[in-house]
Amino acid sequence: MYRRLITRNSHRSFAVLKGLKNVEKHAPTEQPELFKPFSEAQLAYLERVVRVNQAGELGANYIYAGQFFVLANRFPHLKSVLQHMWDQEVHHHNTFNELQLKRRVRPSLLTPLWKFGAFAMGSGTALISPEAAMACTEAVETVIGGHYNDQLRCLNSQYEMQTVQGAEGKSLELQSLTSTIKLFRDEELEHLDTAVDHDAHKAVPYILLTEGIKAICRTAVWTAERI
Amino acid sequence: MKLPPRILCRRLYHPNVVEHQVKHPLFPLTYGPHSLQYKVLENTLSKYVPLYGFDERAIVASANELGLGGAVISALGAHNSPSFFHTSPAVLELVKFHLVTKRYALTNALDPSRAPGGLSSIPDELPTLEALFKRRLELNVPIGSHLTPLLSMLSIPGEYLVNTALPELHRLSDDLVFFSQEKDSHDFAWYAKRAAISCAFVSSELFMAQDKSHNFNKTFEFAEEKLHKVTKLGEYYNNTEEYMWYTLLTSINLAKSQLTRG
Repeated sequence: MYRRLITRNSHRSFAVLKGLKNVEKHAPTEQPELFKPFSEAQLAYLERVVRVNQAGELGANYIYAGQFFVLANRFPHLKSVLQHMWDQEVHHHNTFNELQLKRRVRPSLLTPLWKFGAFAMGSGTALISPEAAMACTEAVETVIGGHYNDQLRCLNSQYEMQTVQGAEGKSLELQSLTSTIKLFRDEELEHLDTAVDHDAHKAVPYILLTEGIKAICRTAVWTAERI
Repeated sequence: MKLPPRILCRRLYHPNVVEHQVKHPLFPLTYGPHSLQYKVLENTLSKYVPLYGFDERAIVASANELGLGGAVISALGAHNSPSFFHTSPAVLELVKFHLVTKRYALTNALDPSRAPGGLSSIPDELPTLEALFKRRLELNVPIGSHLTPLLSMLSIPGEYLVNTALPELHRLSDDLVFFSQEKDSHDFAWYAKRAAISCAFVSSELFMAQDKSHNFNKTFEFAEEKLHKVTKLGEYYNNTEEYMWYTLLTSINLAKSQLTRG
């Protein structure tokens, strides 16, 4: 009886302190958990994600370059707006460039075409009118935001990884990729709002412009994923 | 059946090896270093290929030495290989084994997933492209006199060329760039550089097959010169491109300034 009491006492602890105990236990393990290997399909999809995002951000970068080239001096009030969006795109592009080299993904074979086409699209719409340029931004960011959302859905549903011990979870690498894509999606949608605020809806052949550009973007995304 | 262009441009994402296990450590080989297949082929490649070349005799001799009997040869390659008209599937498997293991041997000390001491044993400074390129050619020295039949097997148009020989060559040039100090790029130059290195490597191997000099000294001279020429060509292209951009931007600015003057 006496022994039982002692053993019970020795196990006794305060619920509030339990959390602290666990923290102490997990804190020194800096070694990240080891996960079971990806399937080939999962790896192929990740490769595709990095490539298409790199190509997309390259395109966005050149679209803003084209718009800036035409509009910056003629409409000084747009200069800072364009500059801000362009800087963000450059940052996105650099991030995916880094990932592409580090994760040994091949860039899109049609990179020269994306550069030329994007610059032509940006400067072409800017030549029509500043509103048309904003409508172009609106259309592009709509497609890109939707595409990022598709990727996030897939990363959430198809990447249930298991550690070697059998616990479920996601590796830090996957988590960081997901959070990067989330952040970039939010910034792209912010550009969309900026474009609408700057009279994108007043562009003259509005439906024609936005729907045409959306179709071009979807084709480009489809191609950049594969080639 | 998969289409050839899809096989050629197929690549996989390389996740970090600290967090993720690797499914096939010797990809595209599906067997590991502890399998029987590996042991037979390893023994053949190191002991009997220098004697007999890439031949059934080498495999049979090696299997006999390991006490397995010559019948093992029929278990090594796929029985329905479309290439059985000119070479036995077991020999083709041996050739593939040679290409893959030599490629991995080249970067064993540089890749954290395979280096004996893990991340900590990786050297701070990667070797130059030229050093890696020559080291790969050095690995060919023991089989130097049997290179001609090997290269002819690799270059016969057909399924083997598309599925094994070319992808393996491109994986080699990709490794050469990735594990060396060579600057890598994000655009079309990525492809151009790899294609140029692959060409340089194939021509050096062809030279090696005919080389009669002591220790293949001439081959290494040739490889050095070839690689130098390729890099030089890249520089010429980059300089031209830069100059064209400069000219384009200056002429645009000139036109603008003239227009504002009226």
